[in-house]
Amino acid sequence: MPDRERNLTDSDRIVLKAVMDLVVPAVDDLPGAGEMGLAGNVEELTGRRPEYRDALSAVLDALSLDPSVRAEGGFTALEEDQRLAALHALEAAMPAKFDVFIDLIYIAYYSDERVHERIGWRSGPLQPLGWELPKFDPSVLETVSQRKPFWRKA
Amino acid sequence: MTITHEPTDILILGSGASGAAVAWRLANSDFNIVCLEQGRWIKPEEYPNEHKDWEIQARTNWAFDPNVRKLDSDYPINVDESSIDPLMFNAVGGSTVHWTAHTPRFHPSDFRVKTLDGVADDWPLTYDELEPFYDAYDALMGCSGINGDPANPPRTERPMPPLPIGPDGERMAKAFDRLGWHWWPSDSYVNSVPYRGRNACNNCGNTGLGCSRGAKGQTDVAIWPEAIANGVELRTDSRVFRVETDSDGRATGASYYDANGDVNFQPANAVVMAMNGIGSPRIMLNSMSDSHANGLCNSSGLVGKNLMFHPYAMVSGLFDDGLQTYKGALANMILSQEFYETDPDKDFVRGYTYQVARSSGPVSTACGYMFGRVPWGADHHTEFGRRFGDVTVLGVIGEDLPEEHNRVELDSKLTDSNGIPSPKVFYKLSKNSRKQLDDAVENAETALNEAGAIQVLATRFLKVAGWHLMGTARMGDDADSSVVDKWGQAHDADNIFVVDGSVFVTCAAVNPTPTIGALALRTADYIDRERSDLKS
Repeated sequence: MPDRERNLTDSDRIVLKAVMDLVVPAVDDLPGAGEMGLAGNVEELTGRRPEYRDALSAVLDALSLDPSVRAEGGFTALEEDQRLAALHALEAAMPAKFDVFIDLIYIAYYSDERVHERIGWRSGPLQPLGWELPKFDPSVLETVSQRKPFWRKA
Repeated sequence: MTITHEPTDILILGSGASGAAVAWRLANSDFNIVCLEQGRWIKPEEYPNEHKDWEIQARTNWAFDPNVRKLDSDYPINVDESSIDPLMFNAVGGSTVHWTAHTPRFHPSDFRVKTLDGVADDWPLTYDELEPFYDAYDALMGCSGINGDPANPPRTERPMPPLPIGPDGERMAKAFDRLGWHWWPSDSYVNSVPYRGRNACNNCGNTGLGCSRGAKGQTDVAIWPEAIANGVELRTDSRVFRVETDSDGRATGASYYDANGDVNFQPANAVVMAMNGIGSPRIMLNSMSDSHANGLCNSSGLVGKNLMFHPYAMVSGLFDDGLQTYKGALANMILSQEFYETDPDKDFVRGYTYQVARSSGPVSTACGYMFGRVPWGADHHTEFGRRFGDVTVLGVIGEDLPEEHNRVELDSKLTDSNGIPSPKVFYKLSKNSRKQLDDAVENAETALNEAGAIQVLATRFLKVAGWHLMGTARMGDDADSSVVDKWGQAHDADNIFVVDGSVFVTCAAVNPTPTIGALALRTADYIDRERSDLKS
């Protein structure tokens, strides 16, 4: 049985990086999530919640044990379409774990300042800057204020 | 060996929305008061919004769900038999630390459900009786809003003007106007202007993660400083496991574990349960004694029964005009109560509120809390770009009705870190609630399409949505069919009071905290007026 509490091996990390590049591929001047060097961030995230560690280990173990993947010499030996097929098969086979695994990659990717810059999001904490919004304008109530009270008396 | 403290007049268990209100009110009347809180003070700089990883913290150590968060102050909850997961926070301020502070009131009809609609039970009090306490709690916590709402009775001038509803709120409001449907700026315990020494909100967005500016009505900033200044002792890291009683069944105090794991006993003339709709029945059921054989004040057998959540659905509209819908308090824009009251032409009773909400940051967008998960792979970036900052949500709050089989029990195996039995929650969505949600989803789609949404996505039922915990020690005039009377005083013991959402007879279709706070102030007012015997 795979050990879900184990640390990742170097070969796990190579596979994870390759998977991440498929999950969040390159865009504009940014490479894919794996090529951006975010596999380590994913691994760090697993320390924050046991379900994360369990999902990451489960997905990587399943990939390494997939007979069709093993027959070709492992995930990184596959062509891109074969890699995608393997991931889709895994998603169908273990949807709950795979969902958490995808969450992990998204959390790592969308917490990165390079990504924030590309999507136009202000990096950093929400405070103390907050956001500017126009103050409430009572004139927006013009229509609804004309309605007669309709609450039910009791 | 038990550490025994000096006796006090009033012992309050829990420092959240209700416990703080009772402490504040009675401290002004010279009662000696001790409050035991199992959590600790959270420092403003600890709040996730002060940290760049706030979206990660929202999913881990600041998650709404204690079974995910797993802090030392939390207790695990067995949810194997529940279709909704209970949510809460355990610290000074209780769940007001992480709530979004959307604060509508019950309607007058909500107190007369049996009379008007032939279901559940009437409350032993009326809206009119509670109204002055609503006003007092609004003033204490700080309410932003505007009077004149045609869906509700007239009310006093709100302490602050409404929060900005933003361009996304205006877009939704205009759609409701075109449909001829009700809407109104939400009452919110979030400061639109500086109030009682606390800052105004700066629209940072995620009100659910604690507010380091002190702009949100959390009892740790809105109530406790004044209560403590008036002499209340708030004792943190104090985890109550049992209310002690004498041979007559009257409370003598409470036993608890301190931070070192030592057992303490706090004697008191009266005990006030304020640990929320799951925490209070948990400790009441764990306080069996010769004089309370079925658990504290449980001669009716109703402690833990009639658990109500508000069943939630979420209908999200995707727009294409780049309004940056993550700007502004998350769930404090406008509401619609067009379908609030019972409609005889529909196949369900009671109704629902739409709480219009904003979107959030990039992680939430990608992982899909508001509009489903963004697909991975080749289309990922295109889809993310369509959704980020362009989603408005109609949250549906349906009125649940009390059913005895929905309940809280003590788990036979699961415990917290002190070995206190955990609660086990049993909850099934009723047919009436399901029909409410279905109707609400259909109407929400109409509204979002009218607003110009290019795509609408409905989540017809939210599992992680047990924000509101109610009904498990209900109030009533009859000791056989209720746990406490209309003052929150237990039928079985005249010096035990329950003041949290447990006492709700029905739950209306609105967020419950203003009603919890008003009821707590009313109970405290009663103790002050009628129970001078509880003063040493």
